[in-house]
Amino acid sequence: MVPVRATFEKRRRAKYISHLDLMRCMQRAFRRAGVPIWFTEGFNPHAYLMFPLALSLGYESGCECMDFRIDGDMSMEEAMERLNRVLPPDLQLKKVAAPVLKHTEIAFAEYAVQLDCADETISSEKMRAAWDAFIAQPEIQVEKKTKRGMSQIDLKPQAQILDTQTVSNGIWLKLRMPAGTSVNVNPGLLMDAFVKYLEENGTGLHAGMLHAERLAILCADGSDFI
Amino acid sequence: MNLFEKIEPLLLNVQKPARYIGGEMGSIMKNPEDVKARFAFCFPDRYDVGMSNLGMKVLYSVINQRPEYWCERVFAPDEDFETLMRENQLPLYALESLEPIRDFDFIGFTLGYELCYTNILNMLDLAGVPVWQKDRGENISPIVCAGGSCACNPEPIADFIDLFFIGEGEEVDLEVMDLYVKMRDAGATRSAFLQAAAQIQGVYVPSLYDIQYNADGTIQSVTPKCGAPAVVKKRIIDNFDACPSPEEFVVPFAEIVHDRAVTEVLRGCLRGCRFCQAGFLYRPFREKMPETICKQSKKLIDNTGYDELSLCSLSTSDHSKIEEMMDGLLTFTENEHINLSLPSLRVDNFSTGLMNRLRRVRSSGLTFAPEAGTQRLRDVINKNVTEEELMRTCKIAFQGGQTSVKLYFMMGLPTETDDDIRGIIELAQRVVDMFYEMEQRPKGKPVQISCSVATFVPKPFTPFEFHPQDTREMIAHKQSVLEEAVRGHKRIRASWHFPDTSILEAVLAKGDRRLCKVIYDAWKSGCVFDAWSEYFRFDLWMQAMEANGLTVEFYANRERTYDEIFPWDHIDYFVDKSFLIRENEKAKRAETTQHCRLKCSACGVTKETGHPCFV
Repeated sequence: MVPVRATFEKRRRAKYISHLDLMRCMQRAFRRAGVPIWFTEGFNPHAYLMFPLALSLGYESGCECMDFRIDGDMSMEEAMERLNRVLPPDLQLKKVAAPVLKHTEIAFAEYAVQLDCADETISSEKMRAAWDAFIAQPEIQVEKKTKRGMSQIDLKPQAQILDTQTVSNGIWLKLRMPAGTSVNVNPGLLMDAFVKYLEENGTGLHAGMLHAERLAILCADGSDFI
Repeated sequence: MNLFEKIEPLLLNVQKPARYIGGEMGSIMKNPEDVKARFAFCFPDRYDVGMSNLGMKVLYSVINQRPEYWCERVFAPDEDFETLMRENQLPLYALESLEPIRDFDFIGFTLGYELCYTNILNMLDLAGVPVWQKDRGENISPIVCAGGSCACNPEPIADFIDLFFIGEGEEVDLEVMDLYVKMRDAGATRSAFLQAAAQIQGVYVPSLYDIQYNADGTIQSVTPKCGAPAVVKKRIIDNFDACPSPEEFVVPFAEIVHDRAVTEVLRGCLRGCRFCQAGFLYRPFREKMPETICKQSKKLIDNTGYDELSLCSLSTSDHSKIEEMMDGLLTFTENEHINLSLPSLRVDNFSTGLMNRLRRVRSSGLTFAPEAGTQRLRDVINKNVTEEELMRTCKIAFQGGQTSVKLYFMMGLPTETDDDIRGIIELAQRVVDMFYEMEQRPKGKPVQISCSVATFVPKPFTPFEFHPQDTREMIAHKQSVLEEAVRGHKRIRASWHFPDTSILEAVLAKGDRRLCKVIYDAWKSGCVFDAWSEYFRFDLWMQAMEANGLTVEFYANRERTYDEIFPWDHIDYFVDKSFLIRENEKAKRAETTQHCRLKCSACGVTKETGHPCFV
């Protein structure tokens, strides 16, 4: 039995596959590919597949993670090759390796987000200025849906803005957010808060999220999750 | 023109966007430069319903096997996405190329249900294609075509469609495409192509037929023009075992209604139940050999990665070699963790051997369709099932550990009385009693019999095509009788539906060409997704009927005489009208007809196929 951690990318058309649908899609891919994946032993045996960190619908990523075990005589490289042949071109494995860290080691994820001015007459500079004012607030309170219902959280200490750039018709951000099996903060929350901020402060600006991508999954010390 | 950039910004604002972007495993991509003709295969309902349709999978595979043709999928967008499409001038596109279907050579609709007709108009409109055939001009493309079971009476949508495929499409679809490419390349007009296509067996071009009406609204004459045949014969695949079956499915990301591998094990039905349209339309009965079924199923599982396999037919247990077939299938499904499911089992030949094989399959309850509550009425409809057989089958199921059984019935059948309705509950109660008389009955769980009672819709090409549908008042009365009868029966649950949907279904099923305007007006007034109760607007349909001077009574509640010319009489499904009349007369006398394997009832099919159905 060979435990494998695969890194895969999810782009273009594949970014609309929900997390639940992705799991089913991967299970079928193993069968199509003829990769002998290990089945759980129980009353209802099913292919053992673990995704340590879900990706929001509509986000692209080049660093998604999936664990499985090969139960038979096949190298992990061959498994990757076979899977890539049966997976759509927008959903491809990039790397396979033996898992090193436990899923609980995941602490952060980094994202690139592009916001566009919904109204083309508004300049990117105005949007940039509004963003700078928004992010400079002492606290950014938002409602977050949790397993126990809605709760109030302050995003200000959570979000680390690593880079901000003005681009044509909008702004581009690189940010780091808490991520992992226990705490997970979606950058969409911050973007929603910004959209609300624009409305409530009478800026006359409207923003929409044009593009979002997960860039990295990181451990507490900032190293890559491997 | 690839619409990806235009579609993308809209997708995160709609429910289940994966339905609108394609790219699924098994979807077939070709280079538009390399193909000679493109076919947009449209399913006039949502993605999750359409993607479950086996006919679509079959024809998608048949057309795409030809390198010079590209068949793509199109579904009706849900309300939220349709609104955004219209706001952003995004035309209806196909899921593979993401290109607008108005630029395709063929726009083909599959007609599985009469209540999808307004969606056809809506999809054409979203595509930017004129909904009326006469408004499409002489440019040869796009050809709007349609096929499927409702094409047996094409008249209610005849004015929207360039050509219909009558019968099985595997061969005729390609013949029409071949002719199209030849004529298009020679610069032919739409009408020239349609006239030529009408010469192919299985092609009906409605614009080539003039309909005259009598003063009472019935049809006086149907006159073909421009050399079109007086009668259009359906197409069938004679050697069904050798018929190509899809080796690959488009496997969706999003969940769909039937998300599994499906193998067609037989086509047609030998039973001749008099209410069942499919039982007559798909004649003759043809089966695949167990080896073929196993080979095709294995290949499909390997190619799709599905962990569930379902067998498809009108009556799977009528397969002459079902146990051999099951043994073959179970050998590989059990080894590979594949669930096997068998819908469409009959109660009269449900053997212990089959039950034992089924017990190895994970099952979620059994469903049987006695269709009527009393033996007399079951004889009228020729549902050759006796109460003993039903009891025996339920007993086998109970012995196998099942405690819930679902029974399907109809109300509004010819000659039906209140006693027949009460008979439904009495029959269910006898199943309950039998359960409690069993010594080795399953312990712990109480028995539960669910009776689902649908409103009967008389359909063309059945012996009941002459028969009036019960009026809404009659149905309401019978539903109250049923409600009264089930009261106090703790182990029986009865359910029924409001009959409006079935009333409209009857009108559209038995309608004529004058209904085209009604469908158009209903759609214009906001009717879409009529099959979905949350969208169904019976009031708007009735307004459209009235505005066109037509009534429900004329189409649905009128007894039709044997010499009346029906709107579908120039369409030939190989079943003689004289046979349907004989069967209707036998029904009135509550006489049954043996199934085709026991005795040929001379329905007319063999004079078309040229050989007996069973050897």
